[in-house]
Amino acid sequence: MNRKKLTILAALSAGFMLMPSLSYGEGAAVASFDKLPDWSGVWSMMGGTIFDRATQTGKGGSVDPGVREHPPYTAAYEKKYVDHVALRDADRYPDVQTNCGVPVGFPRIMNLPDAYEFVVRPDEFYIIAENGGNTMRVYTDGRKLPAKEDTWGTYTGVSAGHWEGDTLVWETIGLKGDRDNDSILDRTGLVLSNEAKITTRMRKINENTLEAKMVIEDSKALMKPWNVTKQFRKGKPGLYLYDYGCAENNRNPVDTKTGKTLVLGADGKPAN
Amino acid sequence: MKSVKKVVFAAVAVAIASLGIQPALAHHSGAGFGKDMKEITGTVKEFQFMNPHSWIQVNVPDANGKMVEWSVEWGSPNQLGREGVRPSTFSPGAKVTMRVRPMTNGQPIASFVAAKMPDGTVVGKWDGE
Repeated sequence: MNRKKLTILAALSAGFMLMPSLSYGEGAAVASFDKLPDWSGVWSMMGGTIFDRATQTGKGGSVDPGVREHPPYTAAYEKKYVDHVALRDADRYPDVQTNCGVPVGFPRIMNLPDAYEFVVRPDEFYIIAENGGNTMRVYTDGRKLPAKEDTWGTYTGVSAGHWEGDTLVWETIGLKGDRDNDSILDRTGLVLSNEAKITTRMRKINENTLEAKMVIEDSKALMKPWNVTKQFRKGKPGLYLYDYGCAENNRNPVDTKTGKTLVLGADGKPAN
Repeated sequence: MKSVKKVVFAAVAVAIASLGIQPALAHHSGAGFGKDMKEITGTVKEFQFMNPHSWIQVNVPDANGKMVEWSVEWGSPNQLGREGVRPSTFSPGAKVTMRVRPMTNGQPIASFVAAKMPDGTVVGKWDGE
C-alpha cells in the first residue's frame, strides 16, 4: 500500500471514528460565543412562588383570583389539585423540598426563591439555581430530542434547543410529573403528568430583566396549552452565590405518618 | 482600628435596616406562625447561620423571671448574606430586642421581623411592613 492510499485510509478511519458524535450535530448551526447574548450575573425570580402568579401584587400561597391563573386541567387533574389544596390548607401537603432529598425539577426550577445563574455556551445552556442546589441542562449543540421511548421520567427531563437571534428556544420532554408524588410546581400542589411537553422561549427584555415564556402541553393533565411567564431581575454586580445544603440545619422535617411539616424547638423536639 | 470596625459595622447595619429584610421561608410554608407581633428582649445564645433557614436562639426572661429559650426563624443565610447579614450580626451574649411573630400554639418559636441593639442599631424593618 503506497503512501497516498494510506493517507486516504487514515482519513476515512478518522471520519468513521467521528461519526457517533457528528450524528448529534446533524448539520445544525451552533452559535459561536460572540453571537450569544450576555446573560451573565446573578438573577432573582420576580414575584412570589405561585407558579403562574398572574400579578406581582397578589398575596400568594392560595388560589385567590389575581394570584393564580388557573391551569386548564382535565377533570381528573382538577380533582387532584382541589384535593392537594385541601390538604395544604390542613397543613398536610408538605413541600417535597422540605425533605431535602429530591431536585425541584422543571418547570419548578423557574419558580424558586434565592438566586440564579444562567450560563450561556454555544453547545449548552445551564440553569443553576442556588435554592436546593438545582441544575438544569439544555443542549444547544444541534441534537434532536430523543424519541419518547428513549426517555424515562426524570425531574428535569430532557431538553434541546436553539437560538433564534437573542431568544433561546427549547423543548423539554421526559418529565416524571406526578408519577411518584414527588415533583410539584408550587406549594399549592400544582402538578403535571409524565406526558408534559414544555416549549420555552427565553430572552432579555431589557438590560436587567430576563423573561421565560413557557407553553405547557400535557395530554393527560391539561385540556389545552397553558401559557406561563416567569421573569428574573438582575442583581447588582459582584454578588456571590453559595452552596445550599438543605439538610445542614433542617428544623422543619416532615412527619412521614401525617404529612405535617414540623417545627423543631430549641430542644430539638417538634413544637407543633 | 476599633473605630474603623465600628463604622463598618454601622454601615452594614444601616444597609441591612434599609433593605428591610423579611423572613423568606423558601424551604417550607409559614404555617404555624401567627400574624400578631410580639416584642421580646433577651440575650443571644446562638445564631445558626445555616441552610435552609437561619435561626436565632435568644434567652428571654418570662413574666416570672424564668429564662426561656426562644427560636426565631429567619431567611436563608445565602440570601441574608447577600443583603449584608453576617454570622456576627447576632453574636452570642449580645443584648437584643426583637419584634417577632410567634407560633399560634404559644410555643417560644417565632418568625423574625426586626431587631434593635442597645446602641439603637436596627436590623430589619422595625416600624412594620
